[in-house]
Amino acid sequence: MSGIATMSRRGFIKAAAIVTGYTIVGLRFAGSAIASVGGYVGLRQQSVYEADAKVYKIRKSQDNPMVQKLYNHEKGFLHDGPCGHMSHRLLHTHYVERGAAVEALKAKGVALKL
Amino acid sequence: MREIEGVFYQSNAPKGVDPANVYFVQVDATKCEACGTCDEVCPTGVIQAINDDGIRQVVNPAACVNCGQCLVNCPFGAIYEGVSYVDEIFEKLRDPDTIVISMPAPAVRYGLGECFGNPTGAYVGGKMHAALKALGFDYVWDNEFTADVTIMEEGTELIQRVQEQGKPNARPLPQFTSCCPGWVKFVESFYPDLLPNVSSCKSPIGMLGPLAKTYGAHEVHVEGKKIYTVSIMPCIAKKFEGLRPEMCDSGFRDIDATIDTRELAYMIKAAGINFNELPDVQPDPVLGMSTGAATIFGNSGGVMEAALRLAYEVLSGQKLANPDIKVVRTHEGINTADVEVPNFGTVKVAVASGLQNAAKLCEEVRAGKSPYHFIEIMTCPGGCVNGGGQPIDPSLRASLFQNAVARITKRYAHRTA
Repeated sequence: MSGIATMSRRGFIKAAAIVTGYTIVGLRFAGSAIASVGGYVGLRQQSVYEADAKVYKIRKSQDNPMVQKLYNHEKGFLHDGPCGHMSHRLLHTHYVERGAAVEALKAKGVALKL
Repeated sequence: MREIEGVFYQSNAPKGVDPANVYFVQVDATKCEACGTCDEVCPTGVIQAINDDGIRQVVNPAACVNCGQCLVNCPFGAIYEGVSYVDEIFEKLRDPDTIVISMPAPAVRYGLGECFGNPTGAYVGGKMHAALKALGFDYVWDNEFTADVTIMEEGTELIQRVQEQGKPNARPLPQFTSCCPGWVKFVESFYPDLLPNVSSCKSPIGMLGPLAKTYGAHEVHVEGKKIYTVSIMPCIAKKFEGLRPEMCDSGFRDIDATIDTRELAYMIKAAGINFNELPDVQPDPVLGMSTGAATIFGNSGGVMEAALRLAYEVLSGQKLANPDIKVVRTHEGINTADVEVPNFGTVKVAVASGLQNAAKLCEEVRAGKSPYHFIEIMTCPGGCVNGGGQPIDPSLRASLFQNAVARITKRYAHRTA
């Protein structure tokens, strides 16, 4: 192991470049770690709760006059209420079994996280 | 390829295809620097190294839930979107015979402003509605309206499930939310045995599409077949959802096009609209009016809180004096809570942010050990405000210098290896 004083020029440049590179990569990881904890996601979330409390005059779905109009027992488009016949036709769904596609992928040797 | 708010998009507007075969996100191998950030954030592990240099690709669409967390976290801007309806929407807006309807999601109004220099998270709902009118949308309807409708449907379904327990053919508990298209594809693919636990409710946009072409068409006296519905989302996975073959209950395609927050910003800029000077405008009310319960859908824990604001009143027969149910608000990870409801008892709930956390709750349900009534799942950490279709984190976009340095170090590492 040669000391810094006896190091060749080429060796010094190589060592310095590695040190600089890792410092910058380290700073980048530190920066992204900070961003993910509080950061922009937290700011956007906070803004949502502020609007809920201050911008929106009504805060419960069941109190929305246009929701009440939609479900009106006499004249409403969904007059048989939530989860009624028309709701089930338009607003509810069924799901697709996709397990086989994932199993086929694993059988081909593709490693997944789960 | 077109660059939109720092992200590249293929101008590909598929129709009538099975979205299970579409790559909604993919890595541009010429820009990938093999750093592996995408591996870390991918919930399924489908984005992986394809050669010894460590260049990443989404290796198969079957295991991709289209969340785009790889895209918004890539330090090199190397991940692009495979689908963009922007050109088609501009065409429809110019066509006098087509009634074009806007359907923006809650979280869009907490991200869009960032593309116009506003502070991170700034609420720009009023300007967003004004911009949609200025773009020429015939009716500015709002997906927040059907977020309220979703609460009515999904809350009612939950109460029904609770009351069914012990009876023959009872639907199982816990009930999982079904708003998040990344989560829905995830559970269909990795936990299909739990599908009976997933709420049968479509997502808010899954509800607004068919309502627009039936109820909405009736309300504004136009034919459903003339309506072109544009879903505007903080999300890439919503492009998959809009293309699901079963989404045609209105008698037409329920959702004709899906774009994300970045693409809406692009359209506003392309049309020469001065966003920040716009007045605050309300949406057209009949399918546009909404509540605070709807806007919080954009946060992890928001659907849960909104549903509890309804369930509390229905189960207890009493008014909920303070609608804030802060105990379920979730920034990251798994959050559980016992909510005491008079005349009923304890409602046990869980909120998972991120699919790695969702998988833990799924394992509990599979083992028959889940104590909860209701579980909310959001694919993106923090919820839709951090969706894959939202503006890229400003500090990531500012990291061009870091990227350049990292490229140099990588080249150096290759030469000395």
